[in-house]
Amino acid sequence: MAFLKFRKGKKRVFVFSIDGVPFTFLKAQMEAGRFPHLRELAGQSAFSRMRSVYPTISSVAWSSYMTGKNPAKHGIFGFVDRQPGSAEVFIPTSLNMTSKTLWEILSEHGKQVVVMNVPVTYPPRSVNGLLVSGFLATNLKKATYPAEAAAELEAMGYRIDADAALARESLDRFLEDLHLTLEKRVEAMFHFMEHRPWDYFHVHIMGTDRINHFLWSHMERGDPRYAPRFLEYYDRIDKILGRLLERLSPEVNFILMSDHGFCTIKGEVNLSRYLIDQGLLKYRSTPPKGLSDIHPESRAFTLIPGRVYINLKGREPQGGVAPEDYERVREEVADKLMQFRLPDSAEPVIRKVFKREDIYSGEQLEDAADLFAIPHDGFDLKADARKETLVEHSALVGMHTYDDASILIRGSGAIRQDVEIIDLLPTVFSLMDVPLPADVDGRVAWE
Amino acid sequence: MEQKGCCVWFTGLPCSGKTTVADLVAEELNKRDLRAERLDGDIVRQSLTRDLGFSKEDRNKNIERVTFVSKLLSRNGVAVLVSFVSPYRKARDHAREECTNFVEVFVDTPVEECEKRDVKGMYAKARAGEIKDFTGVDDPYEAPAKPELVLETVETTEEECCQQVIRKMEQLGLIPAAEPDAAEQGGEEGQVYSPEEEEKIQKRLEDLGYL
Repeated sequence: MAFLKFRKGKKRVFVFSIDGVPFTFLKAQMEAGRFPHLRELAGQSAFSRMRSVYPTISSVAWSSYMTGKNPAKHGIFGFVDRQPGSAEVFIPTSLNMTSKTLWEILSEHGKQVVVMNVPVTYPPRSVNGLLVSGFLATNLKKATYPAEAAAELEAMGYRIDADAALARESLDRFLEDLHLTLEKRVEAMFHFMEHRPWDYFHVHIMGTDRINHFLWSHMERGDPRYAPRFLEYYDRIDKILGRLLERLSPEVNFILMSDHGFCTIKGEVNLSRYLIDQGLLKYRSTPPKGLSDIHPESRAFTLIPGRVYINLKGREPQGGVAPEDYERVREEVADKLMQFRLPDSAEPVIRKVFKREDIYSGEQLEDAADLFAIPHDGFDLKADARKETLVEHSALVGMHTYDDASILIRGSGAIRQDVEIIDLLPTVFSLMDVPLPADVDGRVAWE
Repeated sequence: MEQKGCCVWFTGLPCSGKTTVADLVAEELNKRDLRAERLDGDIVRQSLTRDLGFSKEDRNKNIERVTFVSKLLSRNGVAVLVSFVSPYRKARDHAREECTNFVEVFVDTPVEECEKRDVKGMYAKARAGEIKDFTGVDDPYEAPAKPELVLETVETTEEECCQQVIRKMEQLGLIPAAEPDAAEQGGEEGQVYSPEEEEKIQKRLEDLGYL
């Protein structure tokens, strides 16, 4: 049938994304003689560091990737958000994304797309091709566009996500689960590469973020049991990369990328507890019952990670800060954040505080947090006001970093030093000769 | 999203199923309160092109006039659904150039099956020599090289073919996707997740330290 023939020729793009993989990690491992397929690929490519987005979490980063815009133009500000004007907290999905995505725009231009497992693609929005939702889906039957593709995936034993809960029970079982999930993801990838026509193909590996969260420090300190198993997972990814490149025509534009970097956690720092201790946040009940329980005398509250909202009257349901005091209180809270030190430590927790207008611009600026507290590497900001401790340590040993994402473009000229994840959409569109929408913030990745 | 004007051009042998599927698509679009018009070979020949015969020259004129009307409709935000044998590639390519958001649908039914259907007895007359230059019998049909969609009506029901066309129009951003049934989604109206699903997702995010 004519429409199943593969589209030959240039202007096709394949994106292989590996969540949370630092550029510095890949570089160091290659220099140590690991990852032969990546080494060979890097020798033919432009390969460099890339900046992520604030706040540096995958839902926001991939939303910025798929729209080429800052969050005030796509509406995804975190894995959890609050309804403006209410105390209701919700989990943003693709329905909350207010911008068209890269694959929707390509579809409108008649390009055929296959998109697998990218965050914030649930529920699946329609495309000219196939879309398989990422880990915010709970049921495969509802996680594909078109819906019929779910049956193909079920027949393969496809898994939406690895089970992170296992990591808190048994790292061995967690690793097994990661490998199985990877196997099924890759099986599906090769299946669709062969059976679906595509001009843009994007497969996203989430397991790297998962393994980094629970075993990053084991790798860094050379844990005798788990460092080899950590690297074994990445060796497997490198072999998959090798197989993939063998199957792809050299004419296909190939991109390998991640959305942020990783570092070892020194401590999970409870920013809500800090605000409470500083007299900036108060709740009516003990223990607190959520945002609706905030006392009107509070000046600020926070959502993960490091998003700080002024308790503004007329905006927040329990708002007590008068509008004329907004700027003054915002400065005061920012100062307090910069002064944050852990007990018995002179080390600052917060590296920088941004006002929202410093880093965002667009129609939804008013929905964003008022301040963004960016921590120094190692301090993973949390926000559970029910907890009374300022610092915790859990099974999570790795956290995200902003400026160590990876970008590799095969056959490309030098990539700009200031390249950011929002620059990938313009880059893909340039490679595919598709006109760039006027309101995109990014620009092509090259010099 | 807003509906965009387009021209969905159904081409294929006589009795391949073009009219049947195009009528179903029009019905679906009307159900969704979208602007749709039909230009069908048999109907148009009773009015707009009743002065034309079936010589090659007249068939080309027939398609030219239909192309003109499709151009006017599609550029004014209407989904015009055209069902004509339109056997010559050059004429269809011209329609593609003229119309806004052209979607070529090749209704790929083998001639043996079309002859079996022979809704108006035309294949029988052509075989008996009573009609000359009948597409599929003694006049060529030039199949599309790169249609946006191919329908195989032997293996697929009329309704499924209709849904394939509707889906293609959604995928190309020409019509808004139908709202998912809240029951299908699992949540109450306006909710993505049912309470059980939300609990599952919250646990997933908590395990990862994102909540």
